[in-house]
Amino acid sequence: MSSSSEAAPSQEFLIEETRRYHHFITLALWLAVVTGAEIVLIFLPIPMAAVLTVLSLMSAGKFFAVILWFMHLIYDKRLLLWIFVAALALTFATFSALLALFSVDLLDPKWIS
Amino acid sequence: MSETADAHDAPTSTGIDHKKLIMWLFLASDCMFFGTLISTHLLYRKLYPSGFTDAEGHQRFIQNLFNIELTSFSTFILLMSSFLMALAVSAMHKGEIKSFRRNVLGVIFFGLIFLGCQVFEFTHFYHQGLTIQNSVLGSTFYVLTGTHGTHVAIGVLWLILMYFYSFTGKLRGHMGALDVEVAGLYWHFVDIVWIIIFTAVYLVEYLGPNGIWGTGLPAAIK
Repeated sequence: MSSSSEAAPSQEFLIEETRRYHHFITLALWLAVVTGAEIVLIFLPIPMAAVLTVLSLMSAGKFFAVILWFMHLIYDKRLLLWIFVAALALTFATFSALLALFSVDLLDPKWIS
Repeated sequence: MSETADAHDAPTSTGIDHKKLIMWLFLASDCMFFGTLISTHLLYRKLYPSGFTDAEGHQRFIQNLFNIELTSFSTFILLMSSFLMALAVSAMHKGEIKSFRRNVLGVIFFGLIFLGCQVFEFTHFYHQGLTIQNSVLGSTFYVLTGTHGTHVAIGVLWLILMYFYSFTGKLRGHMGALDVEVAGLYWHFVDIVWIIIFTAVYLVEYLGPNGIWGTGLPAAIK
C-alpha cells in the first residue's frame, strides 16, 4: 500500500465529514418521522387515490434521500448517479411494460380461472 | 451538488475507485432484479386478489395475516441501521476505528433483529396456512421478501467479517475506508429496497376495507 493511501485526513476533509455527520442525523430523524406518517396515513378516512399518491411520494422521497445522502451520491461523481438512474429507468420501464401486458381489464377471465 | 467533497479522485480513467464503481454497477443490476420481483408480486396480487386457501380449506385474506406493528418496527430498525452504517463509514473516513466498530456493531445488531422479525413473520404465516406452494400470493410474497432477507443476511455476515478484520490492523487508511464504504453501499441498498417493499407489499394492503386489491370475491371469475 502506498504511503499516500494511509495519510491522515486533511483538516478541510474532517470539517466536511463533520458537516455530513450532522446531515445524517437530520436525515435519520426525517426518515423516522416519514415512516411514522406513512403508518398513520393508511388509517385515515381519506380517498384511496389520495393516500396512494401521498404514500408513493413519501416512499420515493425516502428512497432518494437514502441514495443521495447515506449512499453519498450527492457528494460523489455524477457518473455513479447516472448509472443508478439508468437502472431505475429500466426497472420502471419493465414494470410499466408488465403492467400493460398483464392489465387485468384486458384479460379474458377464462385465462385466470 | 459537489463533486469535490471527497478527499481526492482515484487514479483511474473515471476518477472513481474500481471497487466503488463495480459495487454501483452490481447495485444497478440488483435494482432491476428486485424491480422484476416487486412487479411480479404486484401484478399477481392484481390478477389473484382473493388471497389463499389454508390447510382446512378456508379462504383467507392477507390483510388479516399481516401485522403492521411488527413490519413497522422492522422497517424502523432497518432505517436506523442504515443511519448507523452512514456513521460507521464517516468514522472510517476520519480514521476513528473505535467509533467505526461501535457503529458497525449497532448495524449488525439491528440487522439481526430485522432477520429475527422476518423469521417470526414467516413462521407465523406458515402456521396460518400461507406457504410458498399453496397460492400465487405465497409464492410471490415469500420469493420477494425471502430474497430481500437473504440480502440482509449476506450484509450482516459481511459486516461481521469486517468487524473482526478491523482487529487485524489491515483495515485502515484510504483503502480501508473504501472497503467500508462499499459494504455501506450494499447495506443502504438493502434498506432502500425495503422502503419500496414496505409500501408496495405491506401498506397498500391496509387501504380501504379490503385493501387496494379488494377481496376478489364478488366477480373474480365471471
